[in-house]
Amino acid sequence: MTYTNPSPQVSPTLGEPPIVSIRDLQKVFPVPGGETVALKDANLSIQRGEFISLIGPSGCGKTTLLRLMADLEQPTGGELLIAGRPADEARRERQYGYVFQAPALMEWRTVLKNVLLPLEVMNVPGDRVARAREMLKLVGLEKFERNYPWQLSGGMQQRVSIARALAFDPPLLFMDEPFGALDEITREHLNLELLRLWRETGKTVIFVTHSIPEAVFLSTRVVVMTARPGRIEGVVDIDLPHPRSDDTREDPRFFTLATEIRELLKKGHA
Amino acid sequence: MTALRPSRVAGLGPMLIVALIAAALYWPLMLAANVGPAGRTLASGAELDCRTALACASQLRNPVVPAPAQLAQGFVRLSTPVTSPLALPYNVGVTAGETLLGLLLATVTGIGLALLLVASQAFERATLPWLVASQTVPVVAIAPMLAVLLGQYGVQGFLPKAIIAAYIAFFPVAVGMSRGLRSADPLHLDLMRTYHASSAQTYRLLRFPASLPHLFTALKVAVTSALVGSIVAEISTISFSGLGKMLAENSRASDTVALWVIMGYGAVLGVTLVALVNALERWVTPWSRR
Amino acid sequence: MTPARTLAARPGGTLLTAAALLIGVGGLLLAALTLPTPGEGTPPDARAWLAGILALLAVGAFGVRGAAQGESRAARTLPAAFTLLLAVLGTEALLRAYAVPAGLIPTPGRVLSALWTARSVLLQDTYTTFVLEALLGFLAGTVLGLALALLVVRFRFLERGLLPYAALFSSIPIVALAPVIVKAVGLDWPSKTVVVAVTVLFPVVVGAVRGLQSASRLHLDLMHTYAATPTQTFRDVRVPGALPFVFGALKVASTLALISAIVAEFFGTNGHGLGFRIQIEVGRFGLDVVWAAIVLASIAGIAFFALVSAAEARLLPRRS
Ligand SMILES: Nc1ncnc2c1ncn2[C@@H]1O[C@H](COP(=O)(O)OP(=O)(O)O)[C@@H](O)[C@H]1O
Ligand SMILES: [Mg+2]
Repeated sequence: MTYTNPSPQVSPTLGEPPIVSIRDLQKVFPVPGGETVALKDANLSIQRGEFISLIGPSGCGKTTLLRLMADLEQPTGGELLIAGRPADEARRERQYGYVFQAPALMEWRTVLKNVLLPLEVMNVPGDRVARAREMLKLVGLEKFERNYPWQLSGGMQQRVSIARALAFDPPLLFMDEPFGALDEITREHLNLELLRLWRETGKTVIFVTHSIPEAVFLSTRVVVMTARPGRIEGVVDIDLPHPRSDDTREDPRFFTLATEIRELLKKGHA
Repeated sequence: MTALRPSRVAGLGPMLIVALIAAALYWPLMLAANVGPAGRTLASGAELDCRTALACASQLRNPVVPAPAQLAQGFVRLSTPVTSPLALPYNVGVTAGETLLGLLLATVTGIGLALLLVASQAFERATLPWLVASQTVPVVAIAPMLAVLLGQYGVQGFLPKAIIAAYIAFFPVAVGMSRGLRSADPLHLDLMRTYHASSAQTYRLLRFPASLPHLFTALKVAVTSALVGSIVAEISTISFSGLGKMLAENSRASDTVALWVIMGYGAVLGVTLVALVNALERWVTPWSRR
Repeated sequence: MTPARTLAARPGGTLLTAAALLIGVGGLLLAALTLPTPGEGTPPDARAWLAGILALLAVGAFGVRGAAQGESRAARTLPAAFTLLLAVLGTEALLRAYAVPAGLIPTPGRVLSALWTARSVLLQDTYTTFVLEALLGFLAGTVLGLALALLVVRFRFLERGLLPYAALFSSIPIVALAPVIVKAVGLDWPSKTVVVAVTVLFPVVVGAVRGLQSASRLHLDLMHTYAATPTQTFRDVRVPGALPFVFGALKVASTLALISAIVAEFFGTNGHGLGFRIQIEVGRFGLDVVWAAIVLASIAGIAFFALVSAAEARLLPRRS
């Protein structure tokens, strides 16, 4: 066993309540002629500052779990607390930013104005434009603020949508397969950037993916989910040292962890 | 109109050639169309400066298809003096004014109705089927009667034509706009929800801008209908100016050459109005990639 | 994602809705029957009646609102049906209450009776306008338009030289075109058929060309790898891809066809046609016949559109 340096973010913060707490959470969708159990008996507790990946085959309820936490969907059973409050209260207090699988930029707004959108809606005081520019700089797109979304590549658009989610400084970030549609090179590059952002801002990230290497590379813990019905198969602690770099991918521990996750996924499939 | 775009410059060559071919074909076609009536006119013993039916075909007073020279004369006769209230330029202006005012009225009421449709499901279910059905109904049929009705209530002059134009143009705007207001991307709606945006904010920042392409598609249909509406209104009421009045007058007088010239003006007006809406669209939606 | 509607579950809601609809419709019917026909009997006290009719309409509207709750089949269809019923009955009652002369606005009842008394003339008019002019012109314009579209797609030169004109010509107002054609072809119905064919032609050409060119590069390449003949490629890839566009254009054209036929009749007929009837009766203040003609034109319009939609449903593979 190699020595693993626990990341500062995961050091158990005694006494502080978890930022996400889920107990026996359930979601059933009514469908014509029956119902779909999208999520069953989910239990999970996430501490402030963690980077959590949800991984599993498509249809296992990853998006559903994220949307439940974001109050975009109502649970049909169980209990869900975000920052110690019910999900709808947390939403009203603007506790989280949401990054969708598609960039979902508004095509009638320039890059800068897209990042400004949440600040406008929330009527954030102070120099909003400066704040938005700062966010664009964070994702390395300050030169493109006057462009319209269609003038940007897919990867750049997704970076804008991350800047938009960070603009109002929410403590929590939900990301639903944000890099799913990108090529491998761009994806690895953005993974590194995302980790840098996470370290610099100290946010809690909940990240959906179906790539095992991506989950291992990014996370402090990986939540493995399986389908039919969607449930949590197991949680794997990722004890790889921080900061992570391309070398992390060569670490033997990286492969051990990836194998462990793969076995869990297979177990659920059987 | 998309057909025009990729070949704006390179495509002018073929367009020109087709125009030339059409022009070359025009003369024999005109002769063929007029030769019969010319023969009959000759046989009736009318005083003409020509001896054979073929020679007379280009000189008939009321030709089936006017000869180029006749068209040119007619154009000059009807277009001058340019500022005269009896000449075409002034009358085209009147009709254009009525149409644009009608389009404005239609846009305002159409957007209002669309807001109602989107806000209340009950209202939508009660009225939308009839609105959609009304689009398949020849609404122009109502125009003559509406003109008389408005006249009875003392609405006269410019306004009744604009109202009829609006009446015809307003259905496509209402249906297009309500479709547009609903066309907002579900992801964007979710996004606004995560921001805890108010309903007014969602309309202002998301639904309205998202509806603009639909609105303009509808406006392009609406402007042509509005033009037809104002012309029909001019025909159906006692009018002292406008393309419709000139059409009715010259149709009654069987002045074919004048009718052709008026058609030319009408075509130019129609194309100009659509171009105007296109220009407005480009100005209002600078983000669109074309 | 609208929040679930809770009103549907309201106890007694259905009963209240049914009562409101019954009171609204029944009350208006009673009012319409009680009031004298305009021009006959003593003019009633309009103000009192207005208040009563508006109240009944409000009750009916409340019922319509109640009926629209939920996702059932009835909730989707009943509100529209009752709205029409309430609107017709309300109009009848209001026109009677204010004793509006039939020469100005005829009551729906009068329109109905005009439909009956003038049925033979109106049916003849509908036949002329709908079948001889709109339908025949539509068929001619469609056939010609599709043939032109094939030529345009086959010869690039025509696409550049002819297609821009098609787009241009389609913004000529029909009203300006109609008198010229009517003068050239004559007063009988064929002149109107030609007008319809010309107005139908341009949208069909533009739609069909756009459709034929919409074939995906991938599908064309796929056919190429199969060493398919041009005919096969055309039949298996281009035509199926073009059909949705063509039907889109045909739906627009079906509406245009009827409008053109009616407008063209304003510029001269041999005494038949709905447009002619409307124009002549407006001049004679026979507005009940005018409205009857409008009703028939509307039914023809909806039938035409339904016809094209039915053809589309048969020919296009169902997607959902
Ligand atoms: N709105 C919905 N209505 C009905 N079924 C749904 C809905 N959303 C998701 N589901 C079903 O729930 C299951 C989980 O979906 P989802 O959370 O999107 O999976 P994942 O994101 O892991 O691919 C799937 O079987 C899906 O079909
Ligand atoms: Mg998903």
